[in-house]
Amino acid sequence: MSLAPFISKRPWLVKMLQPLAQMYVNQAGYRKMGLRTDDLISEENETVLKALSRLPPRESYDRIYRIRRAQQLSMQHKILPKAEWTKPEEDVEYLGPILREVEAEEKERAALDTLTIAKKH
Amino acid sequence: MISRSALTRGSQLALRSQGAAKLAQRGFAAVASPKASYEPTTVAGIKVASRDDQGPTTHLAVVAKAGTRYEPLPGLTVGLEAFAFKNTKKRSALRIVREAELLGGQLAAYHTREALVLQASFLREDLPYFTELLAEVITQTRYTTHEFHEEVESVIHAKQAKIGADAIALDAAHSVAFHTGLGAPLYPTPSTPIASYLNENSVAQYADAVYNRADIAVVADGASEGALSKWIEPFFKELPSQSPDPLDSAASKYRGGEVRIPKTGSSALVIAFPGSALGASQPETAVLIGLLGGESGIKWSPGFTILSKATAANPGAHAKATNYAYSDAGLLTIEITGSASAVRKVAEESIKALKSVVDGSVSKEDLVKAIAKAKFDLLSGSETAGVGLVHAGANLIHGGKPLQVLETIKALESVTAEKLKTVAKALLDGKASVGAVGDLHVLPFAEDLGLRV
Repeated sequence: MSLAPFISKRPWLVKMLQPLAQMYVNQAGYRKMGLRTDDLISEENETVLKALSRLPPRESYDRIYRIRRAQQLSMQHKILPKAEWTKPEEDVEYLGPILREVEAEEKERAALDTLTIAKKH
Repeated sequence: MISRSALTRGSQLALRSQGAAKLAQRGFAAVASPKASYEPTTVAGIKVASRDDQGPTTHLAVVAKAGTRYEPLPGLTVGLEAFAFKNTKKRSALRIVREAELLGGQLAAYHTREALVLQASFLREDLPYFTELLAEVITQTRYTTHEFHEEVESVIHAKQAKIGADAIALDAAHSVAFHTGLGAPLYPTPSTPIASYLNENSVAQYADAVYNRADIAVVADGASEGALSKWIEPFFKELPSQSPDPLDSAASKYRGGEVRIPKTGSSALVIAFPGSALGASQPETAVLIGLLGGESGIKWSPGFTILSKATAANPGAHAKATNYAYSDAGLLTIEITGSASAVRKVAEESIKALKSVVDGSVSKEDLVKAIAKAKFDLLSGSETAGVGLVHAGANLIHGGKPLQVLETIKALESVTAEKLKTVAKALLDGKASVGAVGDLHVLPFAEDLGLRV
């Protein structure tokens, strides 16, 4: 149950709520550990695993590097120096589109599997 | 996969339809006139050949000039074949397959040395759906990276695993006979390096170069011309009229040579000579094939042709003579497969028998049998949906002139033992192309058989 779709459809609302959104992201703190939003997606399910297998090799390598660096920082109870925090321009989604494609494929397969034929006569 | 021997029968196929109406009416055995043959027309700049027997099913195919002869890099033709009916911009591969299944249709993609065929077989009333589908497949396939890794690569590996010594030997004979073009392997073996050439981007580029109005033909067996012209025009609108990057193909030149490949398992030996091309008037080749024979049309009888007698004396080997007819060249082959020692003996005996043909010892009975077989192969070729389809399409894309079947029959009947002797002598005196695959310790060299390479 999310207001995100409602808000995304109205650009004036997006602009209005942007500062609040930025405050939330900064408070969440994942950027201070060098992570991007898509790194946080839980990978313990088949859909995400399939999407990860479709990542280009370079993206996959970078993702693993960021996660390992963040794990090290978490163990040390440290954060990165401010210069190395993820910048907002860098924090674009790379896994989201692939994940949505995989979800759409699975949905289509489920729909086709439960198809009922309506006879014309 | 269509049988290679069909290439000989289809060579003189595309007739002007004379007997369609008569055939529909005849109720009892009349003098044999060929079944309604493909009518070539042009619809919206696309070459179309159609034939209608008023049956309940239709076979519709797009035949593209994208066989292994035309591929700029190894593996592109098989990659394009494996990418057929995958995700397009409008619908997913799963949807295509499920919808075709719901309609009771069958989809197939296969290639020969000169053509790539995307074929759909379905009930007659589904023509609009499958015309749209074929047009979508050739213009709008997405060629995605994940499909290449998840589906195309695994399919190609699976097909490569099924390649046997006979296919490798035939490819070897073609490669020494023609070098590039027709000499490219029909299917790359697992040890052929194609990984650096084959990826989704190179396949997409190849598709752009190959799918255009100039290089494809649409062939329909079982659809009316009116229906075809109605549905082809709107669906094939997006097809470009010219290739942005036309693929050049040099004229084939026969060279000859010998190649020997070690392999475990059964052995194969292919002895090839220059044969007759599609549309070339060389009836002696067809009669020579009938004389050599190999495969009997009669069950439980090996037959009494030259190769049949050789294999009957040496159980453990199978032999077959074929003429592979291409648009500008042909290859007359004797293919022998089996255990290495039996293959060796059969090869020696068949070359001895061929030399006896040159010495003029062809009996009248053998000549009559050979001519009858050649006539039957020619006439029966037009009756099979699969074979005739590819040849009608191949004829159109290569701009070949249709040969008159009746004239060819007359030419076949006028072949004499003397003409056969001349042709056989020319073959044996010229350079042969020999491919030996298997146990090389046993398989003979071309020189041992008495052939020039």
